[in-house]
Amino acid sequence: MSQTYIAGAAMTTFGKHTGVLAPDLAQKAILNAVKDAEISLNDVQAIYCANVFGGMILGQVIVRDLGLKGIPVYNVENACASGATAVHLARHAISAGQYDTVLVFGIEQLTQLGGGTIPLQLNDQMTSLYAQAGMVLPAVYAMRATRYLHEREATRADLAAIAVKNRFNGSLNEYAQQQSETTVEEVLASRMVADPLTLLQCCPSQVDGAAALVLTTKDRTGRRPVKILASVVQSGIREEHNDDILDAEITARAARLAYEQAGVSPAEVEVVELHDAFTIAELLYYEALGLAEKGEGVQLLRSGATRINGKVAVNPSGGLLAKGHPLGATGVAQMVEVAWQLQGRAGRRQVDSPKIGLTQCTGGGIAGVDHAASSVHLLGVSDV
Amino acid sequence: MTNSTVQLWSEGGTRTLLASRNRHTDRLHFPPIKETSPLATDHELVSVPSTGTLYSYTVIHPNPKSGLAPHALGYVDIDDAPLRLFGKLQGSNSPAIGNRYRAIPDEQFGYVFEAINEGVKP
Repeated sequence: MSQTYIAGAAMTTFGKHTGVLAPDLAQKAILNAVKDAEISLNDVQAIYCANVFGGMILGQVIVRDLGLKGIPVYNVENACASGATAVHLARHAISAGQYDTVLVFGIEQLTQLGGGTIPLQLNDQMTSLYAQAGMVLPAVYAMRATRYLHEREATRADLAAIAVKNRFNGSLNEYAQQQSETTVEEVLASRMVADPLTLLQCCPSQVDGAAALVLTTKDRTGRRPVKILASVVQSGIREEHNDDILDAEITARAARLAYEQAGVSPAEVEVVELHDAFTIAELLYYEALGLAEKGEGVQLLRSGATRINGKVAVNPSGGLLAKGHPLGATGVAQMVEVAWQLQGRAGRRQVDSPKIGLTQCTGGGIAGVDHAASSVHLLGVSDV
Repeated sequence: MTNSTVQLWSEGGTRTLLASRNRHTDRLHFPPIKETSPLATDHELVSVPSTGTLYSYTVIHPNPKSGLAPHALGYVDIDDAPLRLFGKLQGSNSPAIGNRYRAIPDEQFGYVFEAINEGVKP
């Protein structure tokens, strides 16, 4: 089975790219990733395009004018986990020996939706009924937060502290949508959206962006190669009546499988990009990813261990809260960030010489499961 | 997609909330599975209690530009049935985990949860 390396990584700035068409946005990331990998477009044997709301055959629309010779383009959709799922599938093909050089990119243009919460997948009886009653993703996360504050020794200020940490990180990241710091007081005083979650605890809904990776069987750039140590995608199991909504079961399951696949323990992970669509999510994922023992997520946050200079830096890019969350691009962009971190290319937000990094994202959008999809990847760097 | 054809409540005098019970596993499914579903033959329609306990909740504060008032939503663990249902919460300005609620028919949403005054026998 061939190993898979991230030979090239690039992304656009995340923000409002109003009036920019998909090809113009995505091609920036694609061409920079190819350049970063020190290959030519003609070396690419297949393309994986991750996107949610851009419509049919978006990948072909984006690459039509790049002069490619009819190579396969696969369009991948798995809600917010689309990008990570595309990487997962590309790695399958490389592992199987089908290709040795592929391009994976993710793109989303949420400004074209006009703002507001992401719509649920209504082609389902239960989701349709619940959505009619008011179920939206902020409500789902807010109910987790309410339960968290009820069960744990945690406060609203702890929730806000996640936003403060990630906005600080975003202030160091020229690719982030939000590049200004904030305070606990400011976060708590911002408009209430879904109690206890205030506006600054929700990732911005008006964001566009693209990210791209070149995956190969061998990194020829001369940089320290970044290898994909594990790649896992899992789907939600139908909820039971007595499920603990603080378990993040699907993500805990995906993480467990990824650690097994890589032969790595959670204690070895030094940099993490996780799916902080809302502040509560990061606290839950500390535990689901094994960074903290069950019930000790808030203590991990308070200890400072998840800051950029901490034992395990979480969301040094600013995460979804600060960097932004253009759905299809997110999973790819998380791996761009971790690859840069592992190679010491993350500029002012650089974590101190990490060797192993983890990315995690979830795709929601239906009732009756924790999440529809969750993906965990482990990346490792070795000396040249 | 519409739920207008899904029967959530029994007909007749005392209307009860309905769910589908899997004949093989006893597992309950809400909303009930439609008669037209390929899964229908494995299920039968059963009545379930309409009362339960609030497991978690949120109060949604719509953007002020919308002009909509805040409203509460929550998960209610139904009494003596393996069911946790999501729905609108009514009848209390300050829901709290552990509060008691009763599902009642609602023309717009199919059902809503009404707060039960603990001083009155349900």
